[in-house]
Amino acid sequence: MSGILLSLALLTVIKATPIVYAALGGVISERSGVVNIGLEGMMIAGAFTAVVVSYYSQNPVLGLFGGVAAGALFGFVLAVAATRFKVDQIVAGTGINLICAGGAAYGLVIIFNQPGASNQVNALGGDYWVLIAFALPCVAALHWLLYRTPWGLRLRACGENPAAVRSAGLDPLALRMWAVTLSGAFAGLGGAFLSVGELNLYSDGMTAGRGFIALAAVIFGRWTPAGAFAAALVFGFFEALQFVLQGRIAWLPPDAMQALPYVAALIALAGVTGKVRAPAADGVPY
Amino acid sequence: MKREARAFAGPIVAVLAIAALMSAAMLVAGTTPVAGFSALIAGALGGRNEIGETLVATTALLFPALGIALAFRAGLFNIGAEGQLLVGALFAGAVGPLLTIPPAAAFVLLFFLGALGGFVWGGIAGWMKARFNANEVISTLMLNFVAASLTLELAGGPLRGPVASGAETAWLPNAYWLPTLISHTRLSTGILVALAVAVALHFVFSRTVFGYELRATGEAPEAARRNGINIARITWLSLALSGAIAGMGGAAIVTGELHRFNTQLSPGYGFTAIAVALVGDLRPLWICVAAFGFGILEAGGLSMQASVQVPKDAIHVIEGLIVLILAARRYVVTRAHGASA
Repeated sequence: MSGILLSLALLTVIKATPIVYAALGGVISERSGVVNIGLEGMMIAGAFTAVVVSYYSQNPVLGLFGGVAAGALFGFVLAVAATRFKVDQIVAGTGINLICAGGAAYGLVIIFNQPGASNQVNALGGDYWVLIAFALPCVAALHWLLYRTPWGLRLRACGENPAAVRSAGLDPLALRMWAVTLSGAFAGLGGAFLSVGELNLYSDGMTAGRGFIALAAVIFGRWTPAGAFAAALVFGFFEALQFVLQGRIAWLPPDAMQALPYVAALIALAGVTGKVRAPAADGVPY
Repeated sequence: MKREARAFAGPIVAVLAIAALMSAAMLVAGTTPVAGFSALIAGALGGRNEIGETLVATTALLFPALGIALAFRAGLFNIGAEGQLLVGALFAGAVGPLLTIPPAAAFVLLFFLGALGGFVWGGIAGWMKARFNANEVISTLMLNFVAASLTLELAGGPLRGPVASGAETAWLPNAYWLPTLISHTRLSTGILVALAVAVALHFVFSRTVFGYELRATGEAPEAARRNGINIARITWLSLALSGAIAGMGGAAIVTGELHRFNTQLSPGYGFTAIAVALVGDLRPLWICVAAFGFGILEAGGLSMQASVQVPKDAIHVIEGLIVLILAARRYVVTRAHGASA
């Protein structure tokens, strides 16, 4: 019994990690006033690019950085669209999701000559624990940045009232640019963890909505780094639970069980959103 | 004059950017843009069979695109059309093989079941939005995954057909296959149902109280509330009806095309339909035109992949780019998380 609990705990931490990184990205972006529906696509970009870089360089750490860069690139695209062109952020984010999913599927055929999944590449293997542990200092650092530095104060002000930030002589659009790009970098890291950390390949659909679960974690965690971290752990737990229960309990329907983390996110979404308040200018172009 | 020139510049730049990206995707895949675009056009419009395939894709895209437009007009972003279509298809595919009623009644019942499945699935997100103010973007997307695992469980288990190779239901009896519209093609009369829904929706938007309340809620929620419009009711109902239209699309695929339910029946129609709805400017009749355009891309993309080996996924990148470009147009006044339902 304790063996099952231990493996459940370990698996929870592993499954939560990509959601934690993406959710931190979501917190940064939304605190600056930009809704990042494109987190999912940025995770895909990160996961796919990490595998491609590792494939050509034989070096999974370089792959990891490649994944972060790819996520940041699409973060930058959303940032420019949201600040320079003042687009509908949800529509733009959806466009980025489609571009990244289609681009990765296209790239698989071009680079690996097969649809569906890449070749196996060099991955972090046992070293992926470093990346799991690295999530904690990231949460702490982001908390410190948001609540203890002038930059954090300005960023939060940007998400509440960008006009006030402007009248204080600062440029809210520049702040948002940086925040959304950084947000993409975090999502890219989460995606890269999936492909060259937990596994050693990219396959179509491997992010499986984690970018959206991360957004649910942002809301469930009340737009704070620590809260989003805790919420990501909850969703990671349900993903782990589904794996641990599968096969152990014969009468549980295996395919329906896969819905568990999504149902958990849905319940969380319904359970808290009436009681929490989003940044006032979240999603509103300035 | 200068302002007119500027108004034309945007779309022209957008079209050029899309053509350039598509050409690049063809060159990278090892074919020339001339050969690539020829293959795409020939594959979509080159003959009776090709046009038939294009219209099959048009039909499959039109239903979810109309549903998405309905929700969007109410200020709600439904990205769960894929799941709603799947649940609607499952409802039709589960009951269809059991029926022994006259075909005309069966067709009505099958489309009703498809609509019912989508209504329930969209309605869940609508109820969550109206009751708890749960963000519909996330909830509709989550419900896609729940729909995928539930339909896989059911179609792979209790509803699995006797001669199924994967997660499929039993065949519908021949009498319940929608008649073919163009002989020697796979195009069924389902496209006429889709066009009828488009006309009906046009009428609802422009001529009914519900359509007026829906648009008022989407365009000026605060003014709508002050004028006594029941925002909560409009919210859940528009997401449920949005799902119902997408679900009818699932039924159309089951009775008109595949003649059974299969978990793989949609290659992402519900997502491509977002681009269709936006390109059609959320207007039902223009959406019909847009659906035909995207039908060309879908059918042409498949044959381009087969004949000149350009992966069809390049088409999906283009669709995403179109959505990204169209995001520059403002659709809804406020859509922050905190905006009240």
